[in-house]
Amino acid sequence: MHKDRDAALVNGCLSGDRRAMSQLVSQYQRPVFNAAYRILGNMDDAADATQTVFLKVFEHIADYDQKHKFFSWVYRIAINESLNQVKKRRTQEPLDDGQASPRQGPAEALDTKRICKRVQAALMLLNNDYRTVVVLKHISGCSYQQIGEILQLPEKTVKSRLYSARQLLKKSLQAEEAEN
Amino acid sequence: MNEQNHTARTPVDQRILQLLNSSIDGEINVVDQQELDHLLATSQSTRDLNDELREVTRALDELPEIIPPKYLQDTIERQVRLPVENKGAENKPGDFGSWINANWLRTGFAVAAGVLLTVGVYEMGSGPIPAGDSASMSGTIGSNSVNSQKGELLDRINLESELFSGQVELRTHNDLFTLNVELESDGASELVIKFAGRGLEFESADSPQDAADTVSVIDGSIHLANNGEQNYVLNLRRVPGTDYPESLGLEFFANSQLIQQSELRISHSKSK
Repeated sequence: MHKDRDAALVNGCLSGDRRAMSQLVSQYQRPVFNAAYRILGNMDDAADATQTVFLKVFEHIADYDQKHKFFSWVYRIAINESLNQVKKRRTQEPLDDGQASPRQGPAEALDTKRICKRVQAALMLLNNDYRTVVVLKHISGCSYQQIGEILQLPEKTVKSRLYSARQLLKKSLQAEEAEN
Repeated sequence: MNEQNHTARTPVDQRILQLLNSSIDGEINVVDQQELDHLLATSQSTRDLNDELREVTRALDELPEIIPPKYLQDTIERQVRLPVENKGAENKPGDFGSWINANWLRTGFAVAAGVLLTVGVYEMGSGPIPAGDSASMSGTIGSNSVNSQKGELLDRINLESELFSGQVELRTHNDLFTLNVELESDGASELVIKFAGRGLEFESADSPQDAADTVSVIDGSIHLANNGEQNYVLNLRRVPGTDYPESLGLEFFANSQLIQQSELRISHSKSK
């Protein structure tokens, strides 16, 4: 993504430059938060996870191997932390993330909200392996290769999980639609 | 792979799924695309499957981006210690850190702190806390540093009205709950923090400003009477043996009128 800039900022952090740290947080907090939110399904858990992710990132930044992409390293920590939170999670709160476009009318906005809720609910029914690849592909916009790097899986496994996850989502959404 | 591994597919199905998914993701080569084009042109079931999968992926792609809470970046930055800073913070022989580690000196500081707190209690007790109400108060009041950033952030409420503004932040560390309160008002205002029956007891309060600004603890509520700009740090402690607290009630008054009621949430803490 911004490999050279990231490398410069990481070096800045290693020499104690807090502005470099601030820029890295600013650059990655939104994607990390969004990935965590889609894995965990609520804002509070996602905020907790994001906070912990960055504390870990900067605690271990001296160990980061600059041969690898910084974003892959951050995402790996983010996914691991989100999955850790899944294990000790509290009861799920109802999702309310249908942020409709300002151009939409009230009826369209309501539809968007309903669809988002349905999709996120279906996402939460997937197991962690499937949900993780779907989030990295569709929320974080990663390629098969990048997902493989982040999860340290062969591309073949990434594809297999992603395709199966989509099939399951399709079935889940169809079943839900049939019920209503 | 696991319980979610759905029904077995024929090799042909698998091949079609692979081609469709690769095409949807834009990661298909020319030869495979030609094979898929042929299948789509000749098979209705492949076309149906293609439509369904594209609908699912479109729905996923259209999930809105969620804006993180505004406090998040600030909270992260305040907590991060960079490696160089950490090294600087480590104790070196001969520096103040190694002195403070000496047991006898630590004991000396504890005694000094105790004297300061006692003075604080005396000043507070002789001032704003009405006689008879002091029985409701359990804890100490010091008067030095404010705006403690220690502990995990649980919740934050921002206040914006014509009469006053500010914010109240709740943090926790072990069984201690710290409220950082920043208030600014044009005239007389009051913040009441209700903790009675919520498994919490008053521990201490800090405020560096003058004595005209008062903190009093009455019947399970902390009352902050405010005029102008004021910061407070209030500490509450969990009552042993009670259920984990869920929330704190806040009431904001201006000119003796209730302006806003809010709840600071505790229960989502992972330290449960």
